[in-house]
Amino acid sequence: MSASSGTVTSTGGRIGRRLVDLAAGLGLVYLFLPIFVIVAFSFNKPIGRFNAVWQEFTLDNWLDPFKDKALVDALKLSLEVAAIATVIATVLGTFVALALVRYRFRGGQAVNFLLVLPLTAPEIVLGASLLTLFLEPHLVLINHNFALGFTTIVLAHIMFCVSYVALTVKARLRGFDWTLEDAAMDLGAPPTRTFMRITLPLITPGILAAALLSFALSIDDFIITYFVSGPSTTTFPIRIFGQSRTATPPQINVLASMILFGSIIVLAVGTLFGQRRERRLNQAT
Amino acid sequence: MNERDEQGRKRARYSPWILLGPGMLFLFLFFFFPLYTLGRMSLSYRPSRFANPKFGWEWDNFSHAFSQYGSQFTRSFVYAALATLLALIIAYPLAYVIAFRGGRFRNILLGLVVVPFFTNFLIRTLAWKTILGDQGTVVGFLRDVGILGPTGTLLRTPLAVIGGLTYNFLPFMVLPIYVALEKIDPRLIDAARDLYSNTWRAFRKVIVPLSMPGVFAGSLLVFIPAAGDFVNAYYLGNAQTSMIGNVVQDQFLVQTNYPVAAALSFVFMAIVMVIVVIYAWILGTEDIA
Amino acid sequence: MSNRDDRIRHDQARLARLGLSRRQFLGRSGALLGGLAVGPALLAACGGSSGTGSSSGSDKSVSISNWTSYITDQSKKDFTKDTGIKLTYTEDINDNEEYFAKIRPNLSRNQSIGRDGIVLTDWMANRMINQVKWVQPLDAAAFPNKANLRGPLKAPGFDPTRKYSAPWASGVTGIAYNIKTTGKEIRTVQDYLDAPGTKTALTEMRDTVGLFMRSMGIDTATPTYSKAQPAFDALQKAVSDGKIKGFNGNEYVSDLGAGNLSAAFAWSGDVAQITLDNPDVRFAVPESGGMLWSDNFMIPKTTDKANLASDWINFFYDPKNAAILTAGIKYISPVEGVDAELTKMGGKAAALVENPLVVPTDEFLATLAIFGPLDSAEEVKFDKRFSQILGSG
Repeated sequence: MSASSGTVTSTGGRIGRRLVDLAAGLGLVYLFLPIFVIVAFSFNKPIGRFNAVWQEFTLDNWLDPFKDKALVDALKLSLEVAAIATVIATVLGTFVALALVRYRFRGGQAVNFLLVLPLTAPEIVLGASLLTLFLEPHLVLINHNFALGFTTIVLAHIMFCVSYVALTVKARLRGFDWTLEDAAMDLGAPPTRTFMRITLPLITPGILAAALLSFALSIDDFIITYFVSGPSTTTFPIRIFGQSRTATPPQINVLASMILFGSIIVLAVGTLFGQRRERRLNQAT
Repeated sequence: MNERDEQGRKRARYSPWILLGPGMLFLFLFFFFPLYTLGRMSLSYRPSRFANPKFGWEWDNFSHAFSQYGSQFTRSFVYAALATLLALIIAYPLAYVIAFRGGRFRNILLGLVVVPFFTNFLIRTLAWKTILGDQGTVVGFLRDVGILGPTGTLLRTPLAVIGGLTYNFLPFMVLPIYVALEKIDPRLIDAARDLYSNTWRAFRKVIVPLSMPGVFAGSLLVFIPAAGDFVNAYYLGNAQTSMIGNVVQDQFLVQTNYPVAAALSFVFMAIVMVIVVIYAWILGTEDIA
Repeated sequence: MSNRDDRIRHDQARLARLGLSRRQFLGRSGALLGGLAVGPALLAACGGSSGTGSSSGSDKSVSISNWTSYITDQSKKDFTKDTGIKLTYTEDINDNEEYFAKIRPNLSRNQSIGRDGIVLTDWMANRMINQVKWVQPLDAAAFPNKANLRGPLKAPGFDPTRKYSAPWASGVTGIAYNIKTTGKEIRTVQDYLDAPGTKTALTEMRDTVGLFMRSMGIDTATPTYSKAQPAFDALQKAVSDGKIKGFNGNEYVSDLGAGNLSAAFAWSGDVAQITLDNPDVRFAVPESGGMLWSDNFMIPKTTDKANLASDWINFFYDPKNAAILTAGIKYISPVEGVDAELTKMGGKAAALVENPLVVPTDEFLATLAIFGPLDSAEEVKFDKRFSQILGSG
């Protein structure tokens, strides 16, 4: 379609097009400017406690990326939280999505609406409201007395991931041909087997995408976590917030760059895999 | 056969709720119920300074929130609105080029938009602090060309805060606009070009209206987190640029004045909701999600 | 200690012996109760083991929270080598109020904060010891070196017999500046306000307001809000005129070095540490006088390792260890005999004895003042006005 849209060629149009391209290019530069700084400063050899002024190039930071033990511990904690929250949120959210796509029932619209609400609530309100929940025992939660820490962080992360998972999976399931399921059942397959053999393989890519999104959201979350983390559970973002005020070792930039490159690889592999799959599906039909 | 049908229908009647149950229960316990506890806290009083707050219809917390923090409320919404506008200006051409001229590289270009956000939010904002620093190249250049005075600065100004907000929530603008643009049938554009015989008018009459759902969703996705943010104002602003997020953070997590903090959060949420509803009403778009 | 508390503690101990912490117990009974709280119960059951800091058996360990730049690697290593106690040391205290807010939800409900020792400034120590009572006495048997505590620090108003607290270090609040940006020496608060470039003050109210009060000749030893009002007005004016651009904790260190700041209210030891990297950064005690404060080691009431935590502080009350620490952090040591040990160390450490910011002389001490105690009602007034000026209130 890019070819077809190039048929009209007035001079004004061409200049306009160049301008739009230029604006888009500048937009990309803007997006990447801080990223270049982050990666560049991972090679900096700062004088003193803060890695804020460029001094000289060194590979030392990359050769010793895990030097700051507290930072590494925080990263481990974040990974742990993200893993648990992702698994639980993915299961809960996928069920919700299946219910919404697979069945027509009264209240479906309401559920849709309720799912969107957590996404539109400002993070600071989510964090604040969870903190008030955890400050006191409540009858609704069988008077459980929460201690701020690992548990409360994981609960908060599941909460904001569930909606994302449900909506992502739902979006992926919309085009799904549910008659396949009925066909399998008509051929005598029991429901569990139908689910395992037919439904699950078809919805897996959607679930994986949703899980990746959850993981990324969880590992990056600062504001909500800041409200519900206890005094001794320091996630990666919270550690960075603390560090930013006291000392910023270049290892922060090294770890951030590693996460960045790791994500790019995951994204690239995912895209390639998705394209291959799409092509195969296209060939099949 | 008949018997199985009977069973199947029964399943249809009950199983959506079985599937929905755990997830919705979780959202009830950890999203809806906390809003109630927040409201309850906002009407509590403190028997003594460090005692746990007790519920008691303490409406004073709200009048306190309104009277004391008016400027921070206004500032938050003004900054967020400006950031949303800037994000729209930057995101639209980007989404447009990716959708209509991306061709084979579409996915890669989309990836490029998302990739910067795989680094942590705080680290990105700190990087802006470095970029905008008084001794940095950017300030040096702007001073040389005379845009900034010889002692002009960027860091710790409202501009830096708005810039940071724009940057940090930009992908939330690009992606919905892209999705809306990508859905447009190319034949429609060709038809519009034939009809209006002018790319600009075709763009204005056809593409812009069709991309409105994306613009609408994107604006909300930028505006809401930007209005509630405290990190950008904390790193890039000064004492005169603090936003409502900074106040809520300070009252909850420094002063531990939980009732007033809760009242502030509540008022903030209410204002956001009103703005969203008015916005939806003006634009008349029904699908937000 | 009431009977009821004893009973609860007894029950908790019994549960602990059964291998269940209270949290786990609640979580598990929660799971039984109709599975309503599936999530929390499940998580409490799997996360419960990590949080509680009990069982001090053969493998002894202690967990300490402190401010940044308040320790050296050498001291940490020496401690473990000498005592055989494993150390988890976290620099996560950036601001007294903020740290208080962080521990409040857990300590107010008698839940562990995962720390066996914390370090807070005098006025916050007062709150912890006398107002909220969230600390327990130091273990006197494990802390014989308490005898080395310097005389003037022995009987502060908030802890007359030093039963609950031991000073970790003292310091001076003054003005740090980058001479390249200011172009001239800073001698007074007015100089600081008039200096070109960006300037910041401290989020620590007693430091910032204290310096302003002293610059206006207002006594800080017995502060009241009505006396302090002119200082607040001056501070407010400086902020609205853009002379003071912001308030921070330790961040001024990086910004001064990077040239983003020309001057800042600052803590003596921090500046002594950065001067090594950047000789342009200097520290001045205003002619009107600086503020003197101490940070105090305390043991939260929820840990059962008071003895090990006391071992920790005892180690640093040995003059030799104290001297090694002082040479590294460059704050004033509370330990008698540190100057002699510093001299023995020779080199740079010995030179510190001549530095009044590290080993203060009597005439230098005479120019400093403490910020006296505020009662709760007064404190609320101070805090409210200050947080208004900070922009978050």
